[in-house]
Amino acid sequence: MNGTSDRGKTETYDDEGGLDPREAARLLAQTQLQAQRELDFRSSWLSLLAAAVALVAFGAVWLSVRGQHPYKGPTAVALVVLYAVVLIRICTVVYAHRRAKAGVSGRSVSQQRAEAAALVVALVAVYALMGALAHDGASDAVVYGVYVATATLIVLGTFWAARSAVREDWPGLGLSLAIVLVAAGSAFAGPRGVWLSDGVGLCVVLLGYSAAEAWLLRASRSAA
Amino acid sequence: MTVDALDPLIHVPARLQIVATLAALPNGDALSFTRLQDMIGLTPGNLITHLRKLEDADYLTSEKTGNGPASRTSVALTHRGRAALDAYTETLRGLLNGL
Repeated sequence: MNGTSDRGKTETYDDEGGLDPREAARLLAQTQLQAQRELDFRSSWLSLLAAAVALVAFGAVWLSVRGQHPYKGPTAVALVVLYAVVLIRICTVVYAHRRAKAGVSGRSVSQQRAEAAALVVALVAVYALMGALAHDGASDAVVYGVYVATATLIVLGTFWAARSAVREDWPGLGLSLAIVLVAAGSAFAGPRGVWLSDGVGLCVVLLGYSAAEAWLLRASRSAA
Repeated sequence: MTVDALDPLIHVPARLQIVATLAALPNGDALSFTRLQDMIGLTPGNLITHLRKLEDADYLTSEKTGNGPASRTSVALTHRGRAALDAYTETLRGLLNGL
């Protein structure tokens, strides 16, 4: 929506005191669509970036472990790459979220803070359990392979699925459940294969989600 | 059904945009004056005039926090305002179906 031309139109209509029903319906649909887009931090570009992050992060770890016999776990370089790209992903999401939610206050802001705290605790618990498994003598293949790759994604996916269900965000729910399924299925690929399977699986799921987002946006634009 | 059946308070482009934008927020959330102005593209004076009319009708509430340059005004749609937009949308749909 072009602010300048709309402002001019608004003032003209105000002066005339009338608005054609078709014009009103069009303006209402356009405004609702624009507001929803501007207040939502998600976008198909962010999903594309997430797909690239998944491929690079898990791919780097897979490259570092694929020749290990016996399995020892990701190398330091692979972990640096993994955490660096994950950090880039977190920073872009935080930036997009702050931009979308600028000027917004109220109940949803405190709800999101509580959700973030719950997610952090859940992720810390995943790593605490990893420490416990290592302490109890579980093999490196389980602790630094199958468990950490699978449990992290299952926790993230389940958390986002519950959040999406509460908000009736059906595409988000579909994405989260697909992530959980990819993680659970990849666990059967073993300590080396789990990283490749997770990386490729997540990349495909996120690319599909990005395409769906772009399609839904185009459909709602043409409906408006 | 005629155009007169539409809520005259909402059936003005600027106010329709204000109400529709605030309705995109979850229940219980408010939007700062500057962000609303940025999203709709009205001048501050024009926006204040329309907000006042909607507030007088109890369609929205405004709250000012802080003092001086750090002060911030937030506006939120009331239940009455949300219901009025729902009724307006229904009436508009009925009108368009009859055309």
